[in-house]
Amino acid sequence: MLTGFDENSITAATAKLRNIFYPRSVALLGASDNPQRVGYNIFTSLSGSFQGSIYLVNPRLQAVQGYPVYSSLAAVPGPVDLAIIALNERATIAAIEECAACGVPGAVCVAGGFRETSEAGGGLEDELLAAAQRCAVPFVGPNTLGFINNAIGLNTTFYPMQLRRGNTSFISQSGGMGLSFICGAADAGLGLNKWVGAGNRTYFELADYLAFFGEDEGTEVIGLYLEGTEQAARLVRVAGSLKKPVVVYKAGRSGAADFATLTHTGSMAGAHAVYRDIFRQYGLYAVETMGELVAALKALSLAPLPRGRRIGLMTHTAGPSIVAADILLEWGCVLPPLAPQTMAKLQKLTGPNPPFALKNPLDVAGTGFMADVYGRYLELLADDPNVDMVITFFCHNSNPHWPFPSSEIVRVRQKSGKPLLACYISTAAHLPGERAILESGGVPLFATPEEAAQAALALVWQGGRNQAAIMGTTKRS
Amino acid sequence: MHALSLIRRFRDRGDLVLPEAEAKEVLEAAGIPTTRCHIVESAAQACSTAEAIGFPVVLKISSPKLLHKTEAGGVVLNLRTPRELTAACERLTARGRELDHAFTLILQQMAPPGVELIAGATADPHFGTVLMLGTGGIYTELFRDAVFRLPPLETGVADEMIAALRSYPLLNGYRGAAKRDLAALRHLLLRLSALVSAGPEIRELEINPLVVYPRGLLALDARIILQ
Repeated sequence: MLTGFDENSITAATAKLRNIFYPRSVALLGASDNPQRVGYNIFTSLSGSFQGSIYLVNPRLQAVQGYPVYSSLAAVPGPVDLAIIALNERATIAAIEECAACGVPGAVCVAGGFRETSEAGGGLEDELLAAAQRCAVPFVGPNTLGFINNAIGLNTTFYPMQLRRGNTSFISQSGGMGLSFICGAADAGLGLNKWVGAGNRTYFELADYLAFFGEDEGTEVIGLYLEGTEQAARLVRVAGSLKKPVVVYKAGRSGAADFATLTHTGSMAGAHAVYRDIFRQYGLYAVETMGELVAALKALSLAPLPRGRRIGLMTHTAGPSIVAADILLEWGCVLPPLAPQTMAKLQKLTGPNPPFALKNPLDVAGTGFMADVYGRYLELLADDPNVDMVITFFCHNSNPHWPFPSSEIVRVRQKSGKPLLACYISTAAHLPGERAILESGGVPLFATPEEAAQAALALVWQGGRNQAAIMGTTKRS
Repeated sequence: MHALSLIRRFRDRGDLVLPEAEAKEVLEAAGIPTTRCHIVESAAQACSTAEAIGFPVVLKISSPKLLHKTEAGGVVLNLRTPRELTAACERLTARGRELDHAFTLILQQMAPPGVELIAGATADPHFGTVLMLGTGGIYTELFRDAVFRLPPLETGVADEMIAALRSYPLLNGYRGAAKRDLAALRHLLLRLSALVSAGPEIRELEINPLVVYPRGLLALDARIILQ
C-alpha cells in the first residue's frame, strides 16, 4: 500500500492508473460461456462498446459466442495492456505472476476471499500485494467490481450496462453503493466519465484514485462514497489540492468511536464528526444521502458557478419554494429582496393591480401556466442584480395548453449567464424529454424541491471555494 | 522546543499519563498560560503557599490513576481562608488514601469565572492526530459541541474552528457580555497545533476547562497521554 502524502508516489500512482484505465487491449482471465458466471458477464460488459482488442482466456474453452478463447495469457496472439482476473483468490496470485511473464502492465483482481473474510484471507492478500510489487503489476481490487472508463467505452465490471457519457467520475468504497450511484445517476440523466470500485484498496488507496481523477482530462466533477480509511489525512489533502469539486457521501454516522480513548476529547470525537469537520477544512462537499449526492454532482456537472449565495426562487405554487427556502436558509443562503428596477419591470408586465405579490420567492400563481408568461417573469427574476442563482419550479398539468416551460427556461439561462436550476413537479414518465431540452441547455432538472435546493447549496459551496482560491492568489501575488 | 524536551523527559521516566501538574508544566513551556500547581505536603505548607499566591485557592488530589477528578470528589473549589483550606486538606488526604496511595495534593489559584471551553488533541484511527475545540467545563459531554481540524493549522483555519462552535456567541459578546479574547484563543490553537505536529509522542492532550477572559485565557486543568 502506498503510504504518506508523497508527491512522487501520487504521481507514480497516477501514471499507473492512467495505463490501467486506458488500455488498447484487454485480456479476460476466467472467461466463461455460462451466463451464471462472473466471467461471462464481464465478457458481455467488455464486448458492449469497447473498441480495443478483447482476448478471452480459459484453458477449458475453445470459443465464447464466436470469440476465440486462448488457453493461457501466453497464448494470446497480441500485446495485452490490461488483464481482468476473474479467478479465485489463489489463482489470482498466480495470474499476477503470469501477467509479469507476459509483459501485461496492469490488472483488475475481481475475487473476494481476502482480508475482508478472514485472517487467512489477509495472509493471501499480503501475498498478492508482494507478488504485484515484485512483478511490477499494479492492480485494482481485489474484492471489487472493477472499473468503468466511459470515455473509451470500457466496462470491466460484471454488470453489463450502457451509460450516458459525461464529465462526472466516481470512486466507491463499496460495490453496492457504487451501483446505487450508477443507477441514481442514470435515472437523473447524469453522465459518467469514470467509475471505480476500490475494493480492498490493496495496491491503490482512495487518495490515488482521487489524484488520478484530479488530473484526468475527461473528469470535471468527482463523487466519492466513503466508509472510512486509515489514510483519511492523505485523502483530504489530495482533495484539498484539487480545483475540481469533490462531493463525498460518508457512511457510518451511527458508528460510535471505534477506538479506546482516555479523555473527553477522544470520546467526543466519533468518526463521523471528525470526518465532517475535516472535509470542511479541506473543501470537500459532504452530503448525507445518495439522492443529495446525485443532485449535487449533477448541478456541478452542468451549471455554471454562482457569484454568491443570493438565490431567487420562482414558482406558481408556494409550497415547493417554501421547502426549498427552508433548506437554503438553514445552510446560509439568502433570499434577497427584489431590486427596485425589477419591481418596476414586473409592474409594467402585470399592470397596476398585480394578481400576485411582487417579491422573492416570486409566486406568479395561475399566470405561470402560460409558458411564455412564465418565461418573461423568470427572465426578470434572473436579471435582478441582487440574484446570483435562480431555482424555478413548475407543477405539470396534463392540459396540453399548459406545457412545460423548458425552452423558455433555457432561453433565460442563456441570456442571463447565471446558474438556473429547474424543479418539475410531475410523474417520472414526463421528465426524460424535458430533461433533454433543459440539460442540453445547461439547466439541471430535479424532481423534488429538496434535491433542487441541495444542488444549489453544492453550487454555492464550490462558487465560494473558487472565489477563495482567486482571492488567495490575489493576496499572495 | 522546550515543551518537547520536557515531554521526552517524562516519557523516558516511563510516565505515559501526565497528570495535571506535569501537563501544565508542558503547556507553560509551550506558551500556554495555566493556573500553576503547587505540590503541598501538609496543611501548614498549604496555608503558607496560599498566603503567597493569594486566596481564594483550589485544592486537588493529583494521581495518574485519577482522570476525572470532579466525579471522584477530588477537587475543592473556592477556599477563602486558612481554616477552610486546612479542613479541605484533611478531607482530601482521607479521600486520596482511598484512591491511590501515591497521591499528592496540589494547590492552585482559584481562577475567576469566564467562558469555559475544552481544547486538545486526540489520536483518530483514520486521520491520526486531530485537534479539537469544544464547549467545556463539566457539561462538555452533555452539549457535545466540538469542532475538529487536522493539524498543522493555518491562522484562518484556527479562526474558522472558533467560529464553528455553537457556543461561539458566548465568546463574541452574547447579550451584552464582554467579548472574549479571540486572539489569545487563536494563539492557543496555533500553539497546540505546533506542539502536536512537532511531538508525535503525544497521543492525547486535553485542557478542560480552558477559561477565556476578555483579556487572556487560562488552562485550569490539563492532562497529556503519551505513546
